[in-house]
Amino acid sequence: MARSGDRSDLLAAGLGPGPVREQSASDVHEDATWVAAARDGDRAAFGQLYERYARMVHGVLLAKVPVGEVDDLVQDVFIKALRRLSALREAASFGAWLAAIARNVANDYHRRSVPEEPLTDDASDDEVTSGVSGGDHEGSAAVLEAVMSLPHAYRETLILRLVEGMTGPEIAARTGMTPGSVRVNLHRGMEQLRAKLRPDPRCDGPEQEKS
Amino acid sequence: MDTGNDRTENRPPTNSDDYLWDGSGEPDPEIQKLEALLGKFRHDSPTPVIPEVVLERRWAFFPWRIRLFPALAMAVVAVAAIVAVTFLEFKAKPTPTTMVGWDVSSVKGIPRIGGKTIFTKEGTSRLGIGQMLETDSQSSASLQSDDTGRIQVDPSTRLRLLSMGSGLNRIALDRGTIHAYIWAPPGQFVVDTPSAVTVDLGCAYTLQVDDSGAGIVRTSLGWVGFKLNGHESFIPAGAACATRPKVGPGTPYFEDASAAFRSALARFDFEDGTPQQRARDVAIVLSEARNRDALTLWHLLARVDDAQRIFVYDRLRQLVPPPANVTKEGILRLDQPMLDLWWNELGFDDISVWRHWERSWAGTATPVREK
Repeated sequence: MARSGDRSDLLAAGLGPGPVREQSASDVHEDATWVAAARDGDRAAFGQLYERYARMVHGVLLAKVPVGEVDDLVQDVFIKALRRLSALREAASFGAWLAAIARNVANDYHRRSVPEEPLTDDASDDEVTSGVSGGDHEGSAAVLEAVMSLPHAYRETLILRLVEGMTGPEIAARTGMTPGSVRVNLHRGMEQLRAKLRPDPRCDGPEQEKS
Repeated sequence: MDTGNDRTENRPPTNSDDYLWDGSGEPDPEIQKLEALLGKFRHDSPTPVIPEVVLERRWAFFPWRIRLFPALAMAVVAVAAIVAVTFLEFKAKPTPTTMVGWDVSSVKGIPRIGGKTIFTKEGTSRLGIGQMLETDSQSSASLQSDDTGRIQVDPSTRLRLLSMGSGLNRIALDRGTIHAYIWAPPGQFVVDTPSAVTVDLGCAYTLQVDDSGAGIVRTSLGWVGFKLNGHESFIPAGAACATRPKVGPGTPYFEDASAAFRSALARFDFEDGTPQQRARDVAIVLSEARNRDALTLWHLLARVDDAQRIFVYDRLRQLVPPPANVTKEGILRLDQPMLDLWWNELGFDDISVWRHWERSWAGTATPVREK
């Protein structure tokens, strides 16, 4: 992996440092207001919730299902959430509740498509690259494949950070995870990702010969 | 020489992670590059038209019926209350799906939670705190907690959920086999067995316990800590570690080590041999050790007697030279910081991760049943 970051590329991709946003008290208040309004049938309020949480849902799904399936499943998650809004007791927990629905939708996807999911939970190459084509995507697909080979907790958190562009505090606020967990997952996941992309010969497997 | 202090793998987060954490601090070019590459997969769909859906509302028909027929509604409520009380009188346990716990789905056969059987057609049940899940020789089950991970339960297994939440999930495996794939942060998933406590450190592993209480853990991803009464073992991916009642965890080893190596290690760990026999077993282990068996030799340093320790030190030094600030004298007197620095040279996870979580769950290193 080249270490030189081309700033113009980053800006072109809309991935400059950008503003750091995290859940504020006003966000929580807005969530509660929008949830209450959406329960009363205000579709515009639910649209506001969609705007705020779509990236999180997209990232959670991308950590578990093939790229080509994610957009449709994002819609499924929000439709399920809209139908079940009356079951949400704490409006302030909307994000964590929505993340749980997203993970369940992803699990349902695998139950429908794979009779017996292997314990490793690692996505196959086909799953990773499905929906991605063209030479421009090859490098991206290879990196995504490396991310998908990480343990799930690291995979999900890194995707939210590196793909969806969310900050650590924002990931914690949107998913309901503690900031400490997010930070540890980011740190450990990033170290494992670096190792996969730039293999350390010592980690390739210890020598088999006696010395 | 690398002192081990420069290693960054799995070290607890520091200020150098600021850019990764919240985009502040000095930008990391490698992370920026990854952001540029992976940003192509970012969600970019516009907000769709939100459809008009029928919200699932409980008792949606009730208000107008109450207004029209208050007496009838009151009677219905009274009857419902009587039925509910009667039902609860006969049903000792709360409805499983309303409890805090792990979701349980039957994979094969008819597993049981307490005295209740689980049928596949019933979908998901719930294993609550204090409840027992048991599979017979024909059944298996799958447990899942969105915040913690997934556990496959093999036939002839009995486990109990001891606690959940507050950053610690604790299960007791009385007998049988589980395959755990844990995505909770390291140190938050603990399994008691009759002879040791396993602590997940970010991994997938298989844990077996037989009817005598003896067990073995095999790690397939990440690493696992195994501990009892101050006797601790670290088991990285590809390695295994046996445990015995009243003895605790044995010495971890890679399963592709030679048969002579594994046999000698098993005798050393669990047979009550004479000092001469133990010395012979240690000699076999040292002579059969390959580079990756430094894992076993590092653990042996603290387990052999003083006379044997020098031989283990010499052999381990041949396989993996110690960092510059680790001395022979320090190792022979089992200086913990020096042992930890040497461990970090072995190429497995940074031991500071374990030390961090060891402090976090101090006092929980004894199986609940033995407290």
